[in-house]
Amino acid sequence: MTYQETYAGGRRTGTSSRHGGRSAAPVPPTPVLPRRGPGGRRALSALFWLGLVASVLPWWLDTPAGSLADTADVLTAAGRITGLVAGYLLLVQVLMMSRLGVLERALGGERISRLHRDVGATLLVAVLTHMSLLVVAYAEADEQSVLGEVGVLLRDYEDMLSAFAAAGIMVLVGCTGVRAIRTLLPYELWYHLHLTSYAALLLGFGHQFSNGAQLFPPGPVRTGWIAAYLLVVAALVWGRLVAPLRFNLRHRLRVADVVAETPDTISIYLTGERLNQIDMLGGQYFRWRFLTRGCWWQSHPFSLSAAANGRWLRLTVKVVGSHTADLRDLDPGTRVWAEGPSGTFTAAHRTRERALLIAGGSGIAPLRAMLEELPPGAALIYRARTPADVLLHHELDWLAQARQASVWYVIGSRDDAGPRQVMNPEGLRRLVPDVARRDVYLCGPSGLVEESVRVLRAAGVPRGQIHLATFEL
Amino acid sequence: MRRAILAITGLAASTSALVVLKGSPGVGQVAQDLPAGQASVAPAAGEPGTAGTVRPAPRPTASGRAPAARPTTAAPRTPGARSTTGKSPAAPRATTSAPKPALRTVRGPDVKYEFGTLHVQITLSGSQIVNVTGIGLPQSGQSGQRSDDVQRTYSGTSGEVVQKQSADLNTVTDATATSNAYQQSLQAAIDRAG
Repeated sequence: MTYQETYAGGRRTGTSSRHGGRSAAPVPPTPVLPRRGPGGRRALSALFWLGLVASVLPWWLDTPAGSLADTADVLTAAGRITGLVAGYLLLVQVLMMSRLGVLERALGGERISRLHRDVGATLLVAVLTHMSLLVVAYAEADEQSVLGEVGVLLRDYEDMLSAFAAAGIMVLVGCTGVRAIRTLLPYELWYHLHLTSYAALLLGFGHQFSNGAQLFPPGPVRTGWIAAYLLVVAALVWGRLVAPLRFNLRHRLRVADVVAETPDTISIYLTGERLNQIDMLGGQYFRWRFLTRGCWWQSHPFSLSAAANGRWLRLTVKVVGSHTADLRDLDPGTRVWAEGPSGTFTAAHRTRERALLIAGGSGIAPLRAMLEELPPGAALIYRARTPADVLLHHELDWLAQARQASVWYVIGSRDDAGPRQVMNPEGLRRLVPDVARRDVYLCGPSGLVEESVRVLRAAGVPRGQIHLATFEL
Repeated sequence: MRRAILAITGLAASTSALVVLKGSPGVGQVAQDLPAGQASVAPAAGEPGTAGTVRPAPRPTASGRAPAARPTTAAPRTPGARSTTGKSPAAPRATTSAPKPALRTVRGPDVKYEFGTLHVQITLSGSQIVNVTGIGLPQSGQSGQRSDDVQRTYSGTSGEVVQKQSADLNTVTDATATSNAYQQSLQAAIDRAG
């Protein structure tokens, strides 16, 4: 099957576009985006450390100095500290996954998922340390064998059975989070295993109060700890249920059209109500759920490929899996459930006045949306394997003119002369002499992103000015 | 991943640091220096057993574990005498600003029992017991749970001892030995306090 230049063969009938895409909405003269600095991020990080101190503080206050006389006491104390830390980190983990708007917009989904993985590893170690320290300490105090003590704990102590179950779940979830194991598992299995961590939250709840020395006696500590749990559950309900429900009832998004941009890339246009009231920025993404048979139970993050225009939303998707293949056959009128917007990959998060965008393949989508909102003088380097892989070509040319941006298409595989000339520090400086004084936004395949970061660092771009949009964990 | 390793190392380091800080008697002593000098107004006889806050010479105890540790724990609580949880750095301030200097601490004798050795320390305002704590009770395992039960019932500024002002206490269920040892040391301490 051959495709013509406009790829009419891949387009469904009734699509009126000439170039495989609609012309973008007229851009208002100079919309100056107020910057969103790192203030929110710093406040959240301060809150995190404050919480950590607050959760260990009860132990510090409850323990008289010099009271840890023998080994069992020392082990118990260490076990209690790690237990308190683990309890706190578990709450943080769940809170980070609550999709709370504040977190999604202050930290961004990419940073959250990175933090979630790092905190997760720490949590796993803390839980295992907590368990082993206390079992050994109790065994010593009771003059039991370690295994015998486990039996005693399970039999004679309240809520310990569920606590052990919770630890088991956490170990399982933690192990499947390891990259090597995770790539072997189908996404759905991994996802559903991860959902069981809510059960860990529930199962681990009881033993903290029935056996926790710091949390057993009624008082401000116990009340505060319970309040923290309730807050996290409230955040979860709000971020996962109430806020999306409100958003979708308010905007009622539907598929308006599906357009083929290239043989393996489609753009989905959505319409809805009150679209001008959605507070979103170019470069942000939503998690989309297309309510058709076979698709409704999957939710995937896709960036918007056009800035807010009040009339329609567009996402541009590369067909890589069975889900994205199904998206090609979406009927106009299909309801869409969206959660978002999320992400800090926006023009508002820039630290300098000018920007350089580097896109690879379908990674152009968020950058194309962002280009509309960047101040004049932006530069775009678009890497693609063949000329046919260049997406939204006409829009980009048009935007380059309207926004006084320079656009370079760098075509060829990595070892071809053109890309090799550009993708090194000297080449970059030749194209963009002030590259070190620009914010650089990167979106594309991980190989390209990694290489670009290396080149950019070599060209003298500070790390704080490099923005990545990757969902690679 | 690098951050995770860093975090885990940090966790291990800070946990050990906390345990060491609480466990070493040296730290308590530093914080205690100032109040100890001033608290000597309390009727502390040098004679072993009659006890007081200041006890510079480590006294060998029956259990033989960290003898210096116990007197240190007692000291910061003396001036503040607010609750069972005396945080050392708060102590000096409390001493200098306290309008009522009549607080004194009396230590009960060590009592050996089934699960270890304990002694009770009472804080009195005049002849009124305002605070009590048991020291040396095992903290882990099932005996730890018994210790917790006993401490929770008897000790503290609002425990049974402060309410009843005597050593005639209800025995804590499932912790008879601990209760008895506690009461024995407490009775002796009350007798000493006169």
